[in-house]
Amino acid sequence: MAVTNQALVGGYQLLNYRIDRQISRGGFSIVYRAFDETGAPVAIKEYLPSSLVLRTEGDIVRASSAENLTSFRYGMKCFFEEGRALAKINHPNVVRVLNFFRANETVYMVMRYERGRTLQQQIQMRQDQMSERLVRHVFMHLLNGLREVHTHKLLHLDIKPANIYLRTDGTPVLLDFGAARQTLTSGRPKLAPMYTPGFAAPEQYREPDRLGPWTDVYGVGASMFACLAAFAPQAADARVQEDHLVSAKKIWAGQYSENILEVIDWCLRLDPLERPQSVFALQKAIRDIPQTKRKLTFMGNLKKMLFSQIGA
Amino acid sequence: MRFTIFQESRKGSRKVNQDRLAYTYSRDTLMLVVADGMGGHAGGEIAAQIAVRLFIERFQQEAKPVLKNPLKFLQDTMLRAHAALGSYANQFSMLETPRTTCVCCIVQAGHAYWAHVGDSRLYLFRQGGLIGATKDHSKVQYLVDQGIIGVDEVIDHPDRNKIFSCLGGLVDPVIDLSRRTPLRNGDIIVMCTDGLWAVLDQKEMATWLTSTPILKTAPQMMREGEKRGGPDGDNLSAIVVRWGPETLTDEPSTTITETMGLGEFETQIDRTLTLTDRKGAQRDLSDDEIEHAIQEIQSTIQKYRR
Repeated sequence: MAVTNQALVGGYQLLNYRIDRQISRGGFSIVYRAFDETGAPVAIKEYLPSSLVLRTEGDIVRASSAENLTSFRYGMKCFFEEGRALAKINHPNVVRVLNFFRANETVYMVMRYERGRTLQQQIQMRQDQMSERLVRHVFMHLLNGLREVHTHKLLHLDIKPANIYLRTDGTPVLLDFGAARQTLTSGRPKLAPMYTPGFAAPEQYREPDRLGPWTDVYGVGASMFACLAAFAPQAADARVQEDHLVSAKKIWAGQYSENILEVIDWCLRLDPLERPQSVFALQKAIRDIPQTKRKLTFMGNLKKMLFSQIGA
Repeated sequence: MRFTIFQESRKGSRKVNQDRLAYTYSRDTLMLVVADGMGGHAGGEIAAQIAVRLFIERFQQEAKPVLKNPLKFLQDTMLRAHAALGSYANQFSMLETPRTTCVCCIVQAGHAYWAHVGDSRLYLFRQGGLIGATKDHSKVQYLVDQGIIGVDEVIDHPDRNKIFSCLGGLVDPVIDLSRRTPLRNGDIIVMCTDGLWAVLDQKEMATWLTSTPILKTAPQMMREGEKRGGPDGDNLSAIVVRWGPETLTDEPSTTITETMGLGEFETQIDRTLTLTDRKGAQRDLSDDEIEHAIQEIQSTIQKYRR
């Protein structure tokens, strides 16, 4: 049986926060819902890399070997980097950091708690296709946030529906800046970067020298694609070998405006230079799309079905 | 900042090494300095040492964590080093002021700035091509500029060691300042003394250093340089920086400065660097550093709180 890190239990008092429950668990951390001293909910991210088993019981994080400690502390630098970057960004569409502290021999980042669900859940829950109106709404706001991120010389590098949170009022929040660390960890197998296939741009696999705003633009394009298709586009490393990705313009012709489909295809170009070079350029392209009513024809539906089967 | 750095000084066939070199960096600014003490003069070794020390000290006073005006810093520090050598000679009633060449480079916010006095050089390579270099303050360079001799005649010219600008000289130094030069990932900065450039031209350096990990080839290049110097070989020294994350090797060789606290510095003087004593990439965070980082993040949160 695989041994995993033990999460903090409900009711645990972490400084002035009371842990309620675990919300999610990622490669580098566990996120909890907790309440501050006023009873307001917050999200607390605990740095705890899953590749290093550090806590099998209780609360204190202990490295089991000197080598483990090195990896643990090294990864902590990345966690700091995320905190440093986010601390400077105060934008309605980017997750807000409220506090940062050390306890239990590890570090914690307290974030504003948001109510809603991830875009991923939204895609999975819906029976019918997402409307163009909703896609535009989500991404126009999200791009405002991403622009702010880029202004602070930070790349997100893991934009995907699971990292886009939709508040109950429908506005999106960009989450999880843990991937910004990925350029740091090349060659450290224990804390190796984990790209999300389908959403990571080709240069993330092979050419970290070429990362730029266009890399996040690829993730945005792939996420928009996923909203329409309900599955991710073909992984970029496979596309570089043999590109099977059918253009959005072909799959959804007649169902979405031609321009939004063109924008998606533009974002998903394999050559970084052929994509929109900045979020601003992308926003401009999306703004230029004339609003059209979605038409569902029998042929269109059939075409969509066929292509999505091939694509999947 | 992310970069890979190498520095080494070799004695060649000389009894003493009068070259001095160092680099130091804060979280956001990197400084590299190379000085070649002038052998024909008293205490060349001392001169090089004083110049390098002064650069480090002033850098650590001013780069908190960035320099307000890198070019002004370079100019001022060169002049101060020149003055410091004069007072040193005075203090010890030396007949002649110790003299040295000096080249110093600052990298800050993705841009490089450099200044030099004498014939220690800086080369900036991009994708194997030379895109920036210092021009020696030497008699032979003057002859080349005047069209009196060709570039290939420089190495063997009898006056090749004569320089007209140095720190500690009778007249104030001529200081050349570079422009603010944007760096791209993969750019290579080489700073070296004449012991290296005399035996290895810039094309060869580019070949050694561009497409292979510098921590592998730079030591080979230095060994080759010393070998070529032969029985009369001069001291040879170089600092090599590859800007941006290391992508040519699987080794974790990139120095990462983002997690350094404000007011912190890493400094390496003269020592030959190997993978094991390199700071940054492999080193653990100490408890103090963790506290520093947390404090800094908390103060940033406070600052940006609405």
